[in-house]
Amino acid sequence: MATITCKDFLDRLESWMEGDVHSDSQAHLRNCPHCRSLVEDLKAICGEASNWRADEIEVPPRIWTYLQSHLEQEGLIRESRPAETAKATWFGGWFAALPRPALAGAYLTLLIAGAFTLSRPMNRQSNEDLWRADSRDSTMPLRAQLIAEQNSFGSFNNANPAVNASLNQNLAIVDNYIALCEKSVQEEPQNEVARDYLYQAYQQKADLLAQMTERGENNR
Amino acid sequence: MSPSHFVRKQFTWNASRKAAALVVPSLLICGMASATPPPRRQEQHFKVEAHPVVTIHNPNGTITVKAWTKAEVMVISTRASDYVEVDAEQMGNRVDVSTHAAADNVAPDDMRADYQINVPEDAELQIHDDSGEVNVANVLGDMNVETVAAGVDLEDSAGYVTIKTVGGSFQCTRCAGKLEIASISGNLRLTDIHSFHVHAQTSTGNILFSGEFLPNGIYRLKNYSGVIEVRFSPADSFDLSATSLKGKVINEAMLTPKSHQQHFYSRFGNSLFGTFNAGRAKVELTSFDGTINILKRD
Repeated sequence: MATITCKDFLDRLESWMEGDVHSDSQAHLRNCPHCRSLVEDLKAICGEASNWRADEIEVPPRIWTYLQSHLEQEGLIRESRPAETAKATWFGGWFAALPRPALAGAYLTLLIAGAFTLSRPMNRQSNEDLWRADSRDSTMPLRAQLIAEQNSFGSFNNANPAVNASLNQNLAIVDNYIALCEKSVQEEPQNEVARDYLYQAYQQKADLLAQMTERGENNR
Repeated sequence: MSPSHFVRKQFTWNASRKAAALVVPSLLICGMASATPPPRRQEQHFKVEAHPVVTIHNPNGTITVKAWTKAEVMVISTRASDYVEVDAEQMGNRVDVSTHAAADNVAPDDMRADYQINVPEDAELQIHDDSGEVNVANVLGDMNVETVAAGVDLEDSAGYVTIKTVGGSFQCTRCAGKLEIASISGNLRLTDIHSFHVHAQTSTGNILFSGEFLPNGIYRLKNYSGVIEVRFSPADSFDLSATSLKGKVINEAMLTPKSHQQHFYSRFGNSLFGTFNAGRAKVELTSFDGTINILKRD
């Protein structure tokens, strides 16, 4: 099997990290401890990043310490700094300490990949906020309209007690169903199924109110 | 006054009394007859052509519709009181049957009317019944049934059937064609189904499906809480997607996992995706809070 160079591998590193695994890259990784170490570090960063809570925007010092110590152990950076100062100046410090130009691409890729994975929790947070806002925007008018509709005819009272009981009982069921779906959407704003159930509950309530209005009017 | 004149006058008086005795009761009877409401049980017949449409609007009561081989619609209505009226009339190939109050403030029990209706088997039905029950058997045409509290029992249908209830249950036995059922709290029971399209949805009710999954058929069962139970046979062939957001999915089918990426919402709740035999039918079971059972049919 044809082997590839470190440069070739680093060129493909981004796609490798995204799961696009070629056999020649695999062969190179088996034989090259530097590239293997780099991939392990990137995986460690991704693993750490995915464990962070969604609201954790500030990168914790332990990550910088971890990264720095690993890179120092590998001899990829020469200059050792205290963690606090490293956190402020690590970007420039590392690039100043690049051992050879060939690895610059690797660090850059690492930084981009790191930034990408670090930004994921922030993106997730903002995504959730967006979803929440989207849900709120789409459901608020519906909700308001339903409340107005319900208030417009006050209490429903059909002459037929069986119909009366059934409509009132089912309205209570749908109201409860809406409350639970709203809670669920608030907790998991990206959950399409919960949103679908919420819209469906609103639809059911609208149908039910229409039936109650119609039967209330017929009864007058 | 001469004796003859007296006799003649006496005769005239007697004749008048006799005539009055005959005429007055007759008039009274006639008067009473005109004020008497029609009998509470009525039978009406309407000649129809192929594919007639029968509409029934009844606020309270039992509606039983059966198919027969005659080209006519027979409506037998039984009113609970004289405060309720039944209208049955024909407009072309359509027969409209409706119940309405004959006075103000009629007590609910007095508003009841029960119907026994026979229709040709290719008839199309539109039934509205708020409370009571609806039973339909052997009608192969399309039908739409809407109720509030009334339960609906359907047997041996073959058309496009749409059922909508608020709290009424729905039971369907040996139904073919296309079924679309929606309820809020009614239980839905579908047995011996031979339908290529079933879409059943209830919020808090249970759903039971026991029948064949036909090739290229689509079966969507959805509830909020309650149990969804599907019974399959070893010969069935379907592609299954079962998701309960907060509840459990219990499966007895030996499924082949799907090779491609799962649906996006599989990361939420408990989901099961797979293929049984060749996966010819599509089965989608969705619950928010309920349990989904996929069990072997006995």
